[in-house]
This record gives sequence, structure tokens and C-alpha cells, in this order.
Amino acid sequence: MSLHLQPVQVATGSADSDSHLVFSDGLLVAVLVHLSDQHEEEAGMWYLEAGFGPISGPDEPPFVNLDAAQAWISSRLATRSVRDRGRH
Amino acid sequence: MASMSPHLLQPMITKLESISSLTEEERYAVENLPVRVRTHQSREDIVRDGDRVSQCCLILEGWAYRYKILGGGRRQIFSFHIAGDIPDLPSLHIPLMDHSLATITKATMAFIPHEAMRDLTYQFPRLAAVLWRDTLVDAGIFREWMACMGQRSAYDHLAHLFCELYLKQEAVGLAGEHRCPLPMTQADLGDATGMSNVHVNRTLQEMRGDGLIILRNKTLVIKAWNELIRAAEFDDTYLHLRERTVG
Repeated sequence: MSLHLQPVQVATGSADSDSHLVFSDGLLVAVLVHLSDQHEEEAGMWYLEAGFGPISGPDEPPFVNLDAAQAWISSRLATRSVRDRGRH
Repeated sequence: MASMSPHLLQPMITKLESISSLTEEERYAVENLPVRVRTHQSREDIVRDGDRVSQCCLILEGWAYRYKILGGGRRQIFSFHIAGDIPDLPSLHIPLMDHSLATITKATMAFIPHEAMRDLTYQFPRLAAVLWRDTLVDAGIFREWMACMGQRSAYDHLAHLFCELYLKQEAVGLAGEHRCPLPMTQADLGDATGMSNVHVNRTLQEMRGDGLIILRNKTLVIKAWNELIRAAEFDDTYLHLRERTVG
């Protein structure tokens, strides 16, 4: 399962706008937003602004970088596919 | 267990009198409750989910909160408490705790044995009614929090919470002139409102940008009370503090 990232600007109503849409197998699964300087110790981290399907759920703490965010998204998707296979 | 100087339990008297006036006899009975006083550091558990307790905890000074830890270490905060509150008063009749109670700041607590509290309510049914009324107001606050959690935007929700925390403190003489202590962290505010730290931070900056509030050094300064109330659609009826807040 490979992820594809597409840069995008998101209207978060704050200084956080640099973002990436995250696709898996052509489907949008998440929106990651780069946290601006207004977040002090979390500035520069990546925040899961929105997650869809297996990525939805309660808020996650911001990720230190894009690699960490993608690793987390991949693991969530993998967990879900294992569950789905077990069901069929 | 020590007997009390009459002034020690003044926060409880003030709180009860914010609900209903007390007779001399009732006041004397409250002041003479046998209590054990202990000072807790900040972020210390007072009672934990699952504990079976035999005393109630009255806050004399400082702040506390009710919370529950969910799977994965997630925390939901149910309420914030100030001097005069008895956050685990329900334990008098439901001694098995279904949530935890912890300090936010360093706090001084007076522990009142259930037995003494029960005797007080048997001897003074009017005091029992005041305490009951306090738990009903508590339930009203839960309903407001639920409505905020489910139906209000992040901005309106935080505005609502700030109005509530200011008025609660004003009613017992801990705040005035639209300025009050607010010692909780952004993470606490997030866990109380179901928002992420990121959203709390963005929302606070937006409110500051709009000239409504300044939150700095654990103090909330409300710059535009009427606008804050309007944003929150705040109606203080549920706090039942009208007699003290009017004028």
C-alpha cells in the first residue's frame, strides 16, 4: 500500500495553511496541515486535520514530521485491511 | 481529625449562601463539621475511578477537576472546581467512584467524613436541600457542557466555558471586573471541550484577535463581556446565581 501526497492550501481559519492531501490507492484518506509558529512547541509539526475511513477517529497528537505521519497512516490502513480480510 | 476554627470552612459557607441564606444554627453546624485538612500538590489525584470512599472533599483553596481515562490514555474532563465546591458530594450516597478527581493547582482540601455529613443533613433538612440543589445545579452544568460539546462551534464553546468559569468565581467572591484566575492548560481546555490542543490554540488566538479575551499567566481577562456572551449565546440561568450576580 503506497501513499501519495499532494500539496494543497487549507483554510483552517488560522496561520496554518500549508498542507498535503494524502491518497491511498487513489482515495483521499487524510489531510495533514503544517503547524505554523503560532503553535510554539508544536510549530513545524504535522497535524491530522481530517481523516477518512480507517483514519477517522478522535484527535491524534501532531506528528514530528511527514514521515512519522505517513507511517502512522499506513499502519492504521494496514490494521484495517487485516481486519477486513479476517471478516471475509 | 481536628476540630475547626470557625473560619476554616468559610468557603463552604460562602458557597452554600450563594445558593440560599443560612440560619445562625445552620452556619454553626457547618462550621463545626469535623474535618481533616490536607494540602495537595498540583496534578495530584484526590480520589480515583473505582475507589470506594467514606469522606467528601471540600476545596478550601485551589482548583480541581473531575475526569476519566479512556483506552489509549485519552482523558475526558467533566468539570472544573473552585474553592467552596465539594466535587465528590455524590459519593455521600454513591460511595463507589465512577470517575476520578484531581488537583489542577496546589490545593487545600477539607475532608468531611460521610457520617458527619449525613448527620448534618439529618439534623438540618434545609441544609440537605441546599446541598441537593447544588448537585442539581451541577447536573445543569453538565447539560450545558453536553449541548456545547455536541452543538456549538469551537469558538462559541470556549466562549461559553469562559463565561461560566468567570461567573462561578464571581459568585463566591473569587473574581471581579471581568478578570479571573484560569489555571488550566490548553491541554486541559482541550480535554474538557473535546478539542485538540491545536484547535484550542487556534481558537484562543482568534478570540484574542477579535478583542474578546486575553489569556495570559493563568489569568483570563475578558475585554468585551457583552460580545463574549453574544458569541456563546450565554444564558446564566442554569447556574442559578442570579441573586449574587445582578447589580
